[in-house]
Amino acid sequence: MSNKVLVQELRRVVGEANVIDSDVHLQLYQYDAYLEERRPDAVVFVHSTEEVSRVLKICHAHGVPSVPRGGGTNLSGGTIPFKGGVVLEMIRMNRLLEVDKGSLRARVQPGMFNLELGQALAPLGYQYLPDPASQKAATLGGNVAENSGGPHCFKYGVTTNHVAGMTVVLSDGEIVELGGMAPDTPGYDLTGVFVGSEGTFGVCTEVVVRIVRLAEGVKTMLAIYDSIEKGSETVSAIVAAGMVPATLEMMDQLVIHAVEKSLACGLPLDCATVLIIEVDGLKDDLEEQTEAIVRLCKEHGAREVRVAKDEAERALLWAGRRGAFGAVARITPSYLVCDGTVPRTTLPLVLKKVAEVGEKYDLKIPNVFHAGDGNLHPLILFDWRDAEQKARVMKAGMEILELCVQLGGTISGEHGVGLEKMDAMHLILSPDDIQAQLKVKRAFDPADLANPGKIFPAVQEVSHVQ
Amino acid sequence: MSSDLAALRERLEAQVGAGNLTVDGAAYAVDGMVPALVVRPGTQHEVAEVVAACSEAGAALVPWGGGTAMAMGNPPRKLDVVVSLERLDRVVEFDPDNLCITVEAGMPLGRLQALVAERQERLPLDPPDADRVTLGGLVAANQSGPSRLLHGTARDWVLGLRVVLPDGTRIHCGGRVIKNVSGYDMNKLFIRSFGTLGIITEVTVKLLPIPATRATVLGAFSGFAEASSVLDEVQASFLLPEALELLDPAASDLLRPVLGLDISGAFALVAGFTGSQSTVDRQVRDLEAMVASRGGSSKTFREAASDQAWAAITNVQGGADARRVVCQVAVPIARTASMLASARTRAAAQGLTATVTAHAGSGLVRAAMLPGANQTEAGALAGLAAVTEALREEAVGVGGSLVILQAPPPFKARVEAWGKPGSSFATMRRIKTEFDPQDLCSPGRFLGGM
Ligand SMILES: Cc1cc2nc3c(=O)[nH]c(=O)nc-3n(C[C@H](O)[C@H](O)[C@H](O)COP(=O)(O)OP(=O)(O)OC[C@H]3O[C@@H](n4cnc5c(N)ncnc54)[C@H](O)[C@@H]3O)c2cc1C
Repeated sequence: MSNKVLVQELRRVVGEANVIDSDVHLQLYQYDAYLEERRPDAVVFVHSTEEVSRVLKICHAHGVPSVPRGGGTNLSGGTIPFKGGVVLEMIRMNRLLEVDKGSLRARVQPGMFNLELGQALAPLGYQYLPDPASQKAATLGGNVAENSGGPHCFKYGVTTNHVAGMTVVLSDGEIVELGGMAPDTPGYDLTGVFVGSEGTFGVCTEVVVRIVRLAEGVKTMLAIYDSIEKGSETVSAIVAAGMVPATLEMMDQLVIHAVEKSLACGLPLDCATVLIIEVDGLKDDLEEQTEAIVRLCKEHGAREVRVAKDEAERALLWAGRRGAFGAVARITPSYLVCDGTVPRTTLPLVLKKVAEVGEKYDLKIPNVFHAGDGNLHPLILFDWRDAEQKARVMKAGMEILELCVQLGGTISGEHGVGLEKMDAMHLILSPDDIQAQLKVKRAFDPADLANPGKIFPAVQEVSHVQ
Repeated sequence: MSSDLAALRERLEAQVGAGNLTVDGAAYAVDGMVPALVVRPGTQHEVAEVVAACSEAGAALVPWGGGTAMAMGNPPRKLDVVVSLERLDRVVEFDPDNLCITVEAGMPLGRLQALVAERQERLPLDPPDADRVTLGGLVAANQSGPSRLLHGTARDWVLGLRVVLPDGTRIHCGGRVIKNVSGYDMNKLFIRSFGTLGIITEVTVKLLPIPATRATVLGAFSGFAEASSVLDEVQASFLLPEALELLDPAASDLLRPVLGLDISGAFALVAGFTGSQSTVDRQVRDLEAMVASRGGSSKTFREAASDQAWAAITNVQGGADARRVVCQVAVPIARTASMLASARTRAAAQGLTATVTAHAGSGLVRAAMLPGANQTEAGALAGLAAVTEALREEAVGVGGSLVILQAPPPFKARVEAWGKPGSSFATMRRIKTEFDPQDLCSPGRFLGGM
């Protein structure tokens, strides 16, 4: 089938201007925050569930794959149209449809940015808890598809803990409701299964999220260390003391330097690492908790602990943390984020080993990560124009993931598998495990048209031969 | 016993040993249906062998944990073998420093709690019959208790599972780290799958530190309006109760002797608080003030007394009467109180004896109903069915559902256990068919006869 016919049919549904098929424009949709590129055959701007359904029916009839795209900030190649086809641009479906304070739920379209939802809820005294560092540019649909985490997930859990239901369009155009405003919808928990499916089960066109009251109080601390081991030991010590801070984030010296260069947040340049620790909740014991944590940090070798005096100081610390990837991007042509996760107590060891991997491959590897979750983000810096260096980076990245698995962890904590980690899946899943996952894929998307070619390449080829 | 089953019996006996197989299935009847064989494998590997043998023999099986949720669901379409997980009760690994534990699926929750408490940790879930519930059953049924308000359900605490699929294949899902997006979130598929997709053999959950202190405030009100307005006030406040239960007068009267309440016929709002001394004290104070401002009287329980109060509350609708119908209505949170009132009114109008409670901050209402004093069996059955159907219609009308937790076979023959499936049912069916093409795992028990 020619591309022209497809594009014509799509235009009949969404209107002339909402389908892009010119080469120049398509180029804009051939990459995301990962390193691979592939050009789609067409891009369609969608505006409603019904429209998505009609578009997918056309794609289905023609056997054309499709890939929904939110902010394009995912780090695993999730939005790359690996097998060509149509990219669905979700960004115009960005309305907040309903806030039900009494039921602690909000209904949102998937193209809304995570931060926008936060900004809409805050004046009402409410919040949506998952807060990926990319929240300015990442959409709720993308968050759902990647099961995103964020700094506050240590205490509050990840996206899946805060999604109660959704409207989904399957690849044949069928519209289905999963979960909803009420809890415990009878049947399999398809909401839970859909979250984290990386666009390979269908297109989410509406999300019901849990909202909660804004915390009554919050205190933010910056603990400064001359040794990275000491910093990571403190993380486990805080948890061992029975405390559950809202965040336990870590940045090392290379990251601090990058952040200071671009954002000037007042971080000390001569330290080895800092921890950003936040406690929140009822105001009655925040002072008490803060004192206890400051004491623990000092006992575990912090050279100084600063407590943010006001909202401005707190905002500055968070601007630094949230801006860390961007700041690092300014000091290197490219970087690979390794999203491995380990049991928290192994952090000191794994950080040492990551540094060794850097030495072995002669690569710079700054670290900025969700320490409380044991979720590492070593950023391997390189220049994409240098093929030899890129090959070394890929090897180093794989070695870091293997390390995480050896220590009882896994290959992705929050960024997903996408194209990036397909080859690492065998590190943690047996062929039978993978076959079981493919059963679910087939149940949602029997024709294999929803974001195909992701997550499980090798086995999928095999299962097609069968 | 048919010759096929006799052959299966021999094979199972060889797998698990004669002492771990019985043909007397009376104690394992599911909705009155008695299995031909009950088998108790001793290892996860044996579970896989047993399931593979059943699959090859075309025998229908139902997994059995603590048996606390076996009254849920439609009667099985077919039942040959009950696979009891009682011998799978070992700790696989306890990692207190990382707040996580892995156990075999037959481990009772009560035993797990005692074990992790030695390290000042807990799994903050409190389903009914918490001592008898097994971890596998807790996951398969995802039943919750009052603490769901703050801590969610098993869904929010499971990090990893090992599962034997209906053909005997062993797989694992998730892991033991608290963030994991390596492939699909397969844990979610098996949580609340009610034994229809295989047998869960191992569970890894995360844990929390035991809070420094705990207290419970019970506010008793002569009217529904007062109780419900305090409920609204708590929910709009900064308070962070771990549990928030609304009890109708029938339930609060049953609890009167245990909790030492002064007034009878009261609507009661019970709030549980845990945490540091200062936050718990402040919340107790605030709630007592809210109760007083609406003319209620309050009573506060601390530490062990607080635990006892909750144990009594969670089991207030229990009891051995086989005629009892218990249903759980799920609605958007804001409608919880009015649904409780509606259940109470409707049951009374049919002359039934009802006890109605609600996880008020979570959108769940539980109604336990018995025939009234001078009702005929047929009349009572009709009344019970009418109330249940009416409540179901009301719940569905606001986007919710009604599920039967427990009912005698004649009732189940009349009222569907889960209600009508929605638009996602075709996808669910395809999942079931992918995993269990022969339809041998708990056949017919789930939604839509799946
Ligand atoms: C600087 C930076 C910081 C980051 N920090 C974090 C962090 O702290 N925590 C974290 O978890 N991640 C983080 N990420 C990763 C990324 O931001 C998240 O994965 C995010 O959720 C992606 O959202 P998006 O809208 O950009 O999705 P996209 O990149 O557009 O898409 C991601 C995937 O979702 C699918 N998808 C998008 N919309 C839909 C839909 N409506 N229905 C179905 N599938 C859909 C796509 O097909 C694709 O597979 C960071 C990324 C960057 C660049």
